[in-house]
Parts: sequence; C-alpha cells; structure tokens
Amino acid sequence: MSRSILLFTIQDYAALASLVGALIVVSVVLFLVVTSSTEEEKHAAKEKVYKARGRYFFGLVGVVVVVLFMSLRLLPYPSFQAEADEVVTVVGMQWAWKMATGVTDKTPAEFAGSNEITLPVNKSIRFMVTSADVNHNFAIYNSSGVLVTQTQAMPQYYNELRYDFTEKGDYEILCLEYCGMAHPYMVGKIHVE
Amino acid sequence: MIQIDSVEKQQHRKLIVTWSITFLLLFPILIILGLLMRLNQGEWMKLNIDTFYALMTLHGLGMAGLLFSLALAALHYLIGTRYARLSVKTGYFVYFLVLIGVVGLLIATLIGKFGAGWYLLYPLPFKGGSWASWSTGLSIVSLIILGVAWLIGSAHVVYALAKEYGGFTKLIGWQYLGKEEPKEELPAIVLITTISLVPGIMSFLAGAVFLIMNLLQFFEPGLSFDPLLLKNLVFFFGHTLVNITMYCGVGWVYTLLPEFTGREWKVNKVLVYSWNATFFFILFAYFHHLYMDFVQPLPFQYAGQIASYFSTVPATAITMFGVIVQFYHSRVKWSIIPTAFLLGTAGWAIGGFAAVVDSTISINKVLHNTLWVPAHFHTYMLMGVVLFIFGFLYYLVYTNQKQRIDENARFGFWLFVFGAYGFLLMFYLGGMHSVPRRFSDYGGIAITSTHEMGAFLARSAAVCVGLLLLGLLMMYGSLFAKLLKKHEPE
Repeated sequence: MSRSILLFTIQDYAALASLVGALIVVSVVLFLVVTSSTEEEKHAAKEKVYKARGRYFFGLVGVVVVVLFMSLRLLPYPSFQAEADEVVTVVGMQWAWKMATGVTDKTPAEFAGSNEITLPVNKSIRFMVTSADVNHNFAIYNSSGVLVTQTQAMPQYYNELRYDFTEKGDYEILCLEYCGMAHPYMVGKIHVE
Repeated sequence: MIQIDSVEKQQHRKLIVTWSITFLLLFPILIILGLLMRLNQGEWMKLNIDTFYALMTLHGLGMAGLLFSLALAALHYLIGTRYARLSVKTGYFVYFLVLIGVVGLLIATLIGKFGAGWYLLYPLPFKGGSWASWSTGLSIVSLIILGVAWLIGSAHVVYALAKEYGGFTKLIGWQYLGKEEPKEELPAIVLITTISLVPGIMSFLAGAVFLIMNLLQFFEPGLSFDPLLLKNLVFFFGHTLVNITMYCGVGWVYTLLPEFTGREWKVNKVLVYSWNATFFFILFAYFHHLYMDFVQPLPFQYAGQIASYFSTVPATAITMFGVIVQFYHSRVKWSIIPTAFLLGTAGWAIGGFAAVVDSTISINKVLHNTLWVPAHFHTYMLMGVVLFIFGFLYYLVYTNQKQRIDENARFGFWLFVFGAYGFLLMFYLGGMHSVPRRFSDYGGIAITSTHEMGAFLARSAAVCVGLLLLGLLMMYGSLFAKLLKKHEPE
C-alpha cells in the first residue's frame, strides 16, 4: 500500500477528518471574536444560538448513529473475519518476537520460533498472538512505513489477528506496547512472496 | 451561596495560593522532562535508555497527578468560598499527602530509575525491569498515598455539597426534572463538580484495588493475577482521572466566565439531562483503551466506541454551545481570563475530535500506540485543562482591567499557545506517519522513512517546546509576584 495521491491510507483520512474538525473549531473561535465587538441583547443572542443548537443536536446525533452503524460492522475481531488459509503462532518476549507456522501445544516460554518468517501473498493469515512475560503489541508495518494492523500480545491470552498480505515485499514487526528497556529494539520481519 | 467571614476566606486563599505556587514550580520542570525526551528522540542528545524511561514515567505520573490535584484544589477554593462550608484543614491534609506521594515518586524514578510507565501495565513493574526492585514498591505505595489524598479531597467536597443542598439527587439536579421550578437554584459548578468527582471516587477505588494487587505481587512474587482484569482496572482509573480533570475545569468556567461576559449561565432541565448522561459516558469510555485486546468481551468494545461517540453530544451541544452563547455579540473585553477560557474550550474540542477519531475501532487498529495518542491527549490537557488553569490563576491575581494592560503576560500567553500548537502538530504528523509512541529513540526501526520522520518531528517539537517555555516564563513574571501578595485583588 504505497503512499500516493490516489491511494490514501486510513491514517491520512483520520488526519484529514481531524484537520477539518480543527478548522471548524478555529472558525467558530474567530467568528466569536469578530462578533463580540458589537453588542446584541442577550435574549436575542441566546435565541439565535439555541436555534442553531437545535439543528446541530439532531444533525450530530444523526451523524453519530450512522457512523456507529457503519463502523461497528468493520471490526478487526475474529468473529467479523472470514476463515484463514494459514495459521501463524506469535510469541512476544522481552525483547524479541518468536514466529512459526501452525498452532503450538508448547507454553509461550517453551515455544521455539524465529523473528523472521516467510508467508504467501494473497492468503488470509491468522496470527495467534501471546506473550511469554509482559504485555507487548504485535504491529505490522509495510515497507513504506505504514502501520497496517496490530494486536496486543498479552500473557495468559491468545489474541487472534487476521490479515491478508496483498502485496509482496518485506514487512517489519515493531512492538507497540511499552515493555521495558529494549522496547524500541524489539523487531521482527515478515517476507511476503 | 454561603456567607463566610473574611478570616476564613483568607485561609482558603492561602491554601489555593500554596497550591498555585506548587503548580507553577512543578509544571515547567515536568515540561522540561518531556523536552529531554523529545531531544533524545530527535538525536540531539543521548540519554541512557533507563533514564529516558524513568523520566517518561515521572513526566506522565507527574502531569496527570499535578493537573488533577490543582483542579481539585481550585474547586475546593471556589466551592469553599461560595457554595458550601469546606474544611481548610482537610485541604492542607490533602496537600501534604500529595506532597508525600510526589516525593516518593521522585525518589523512585530519579534514584531508583523506576520506569514502568505511568500506568504500570501489569506485570511489567515486576519483570525484566532495569530499575531497582525497591523503586517498584515505593512507586506503588506513593500512588496509594496519592489515591487516598484524592479520595479524601473528593469525598469531602461531595459530602459537604450534599449536606448543603439536601442530598445527592439534588446535587445532580433531579429536582429540575419535575414540572415545578425548584425553590433553590443549583449552581452549575455544584452539578458539574458532583458529576466529575463521583466517577472519580469510583475510579480511585478501582485504582486502589489495582495498586493493592500490585503491592501483594511485590511482597509475594509467586502470585499471578489476570493481566486483562488489571488492564481494565488501571485504565478505568487512569482514563477517568484524566477525563474528570477536564470536567473539573469546565466546572469553574461555567462559574467564572459569566463574570466577564455579563451573561448568566444557569442550570436548567437540558443541562441536567446533559450532565447526567455525561456521568455514564465518563464511566464507560475507558473501554476504548482496550480495543487491541481482542479477547476483551465484544460488548465492552461496543460500549467503548458508543460511549466515546455519544460523549460528544453533551460536550458540544450543551457546554460548547453554552460557551458560544456567552461570547456571541457580548462585547466582552478580551483579557487573558476569557481568552484562556475560550481557547481552552477550543483545545478541548480539537483534542476531543482527534480522540473520537481514534476511538473508532477500525481506525484505532492503525493509530493505537502511535504518536496520535499523545497528540490528542496533549491537546486536551495542554490546550484545554492547562488554559483553564491559567484562566483560573489569573482570576486569583488580577482584576479584569489590570490583565488587559499587562502586555508581557499577554505576549507570553500567546507565545505559549503558538508554541504548544506547534509542539502538538508534530505529534499529529507523527501519528499520521505511524511513528510509534514510547520509543526512547527510533534507531531500531529498519524502515528509514519512519526513523527519519520520527527524529525530524521530535527535533521540531523540541524547538516549539522552547517557545512554549519562553511564553510561560513571561507569564510567570506577573503571576508569581501577585500570587504572593497577601490580599485578593480589589
């Protein structure tokens, strides 16, 4: 997923939406500063603002309900995802990643895996993610530096993360939950072929 | 409204001046810790990795604790001098407990190098840390002391208000929901204080359970608790603490702003519905911190997004429109106080909007624990809560007219605001470019563009923090001298 004018990332849309929100707020502030130089009788001013507020209230509730309805159907959780083609077990530990294909019957501490793995392109992968010690976060970055998905690696629990790699290349694994001293150096790699 | 004599009023003033001076001394020190972190990330200086994380822990705990403590003290002052009889002695007891807790945290982080981060994500404090073992125990005990201080301070205020206004349901305005107009008017600050502090008390109790479990683990390393349960407890505590700090600030804006605009801001049925709804949104929004824990029960994930989204309705349609009514064609004189309150509301809205974007589960999947997170909460705290606090501090020291002629303070104020927004912009750009948060440096990232972008934004942020500190210094010139004067401004 390269960063081009035609193809925006989710992060770009989030930033754009937040920028629009911030500009609206700044416009309201400027409007209030400009209009404050002339006086209007307080009841008349109140009535005007309350009229706008009524419309705003129903508009906002409408937007909230619609966005909730749409976005709550696009969840990353297993029950919202299709069956996977391949399973990968991932164990986070201070401060390395262990990965291997298949489901393991070993405990996270005993599990043997590598911090590099090769996976097929255009297949649905189910990552079974856990931790051998403290909380970590299994985050996948593409080669352009875009975070494409993530889940927590928590001791005593397995989080199931599905992802389809639609482009070949090298993907980097970073830890996105602070886990102690070498946290920023806890890295891994996925080769997609 | 209560009548208190001038002696008691002066005692309350002494207490809030003590708090204010403490705040003004600690606030820039904690900012400098953040600056050191950004300089290290920008590769302009080299901190030891354990020092970086000890400073990060102190910066986070210090800021969250300091801002809430000052907010609680401000409410104690305003309520104690106007609405209900509050004990100054209890106020000092809370102050000294907080000081003891702060000293404990300073020793644990600066000497013991405790660096588990401000939310002590279990079981991190006990596993693989480079910090001294005793510093973990000292941090937990210090946090318990802080929690007890806040619990006592909050419970004292709510109890005194309930006694004054005739029961808890009166404090949350239910008398306005009937057909008849209530006989006694409920000041907005009383309603908002209650709606903020009661969830606060609930979250302090959850925090106490969390901390006691951690203390047990400290003394008995063989114990093992459920990390998901402890994650829920600590985020309920931490999120609520930060969230209600903002609402406490909103409480005094409702009371003080009308003095500058000349327009009253009264409790009515709509306001009561709105703040009662906010009570529940405060309690349930914390679930959005656990979206990336896929094993968390699904209804909780839904609750997190629904509560976060709907919390925008009362916040914007009622409070922010209330602020608009205050200013619109009001001929307000733009001194620092109303400016700080208007810009503080704007910062709350801007940070809040970015937070709501991040509270969308399908977006959180690619923004969680990137710099987007500190981006929005720093906006909310620095350009929201802190501006409300400066508005309040200027209220303590200046008459409206005097503020308008203090050019230094005004220039300093604007420098602070522009520096802060520059600093915040670097966080947002970092989040947009997937730069991770809580990285001492970006040298371990194999993707060159992410490494370079992270370091460049950190350097730019450090420059902006320099401007922000300069602005702060200019404001301090007038604030300090006037706070130390014996009497209130005429």
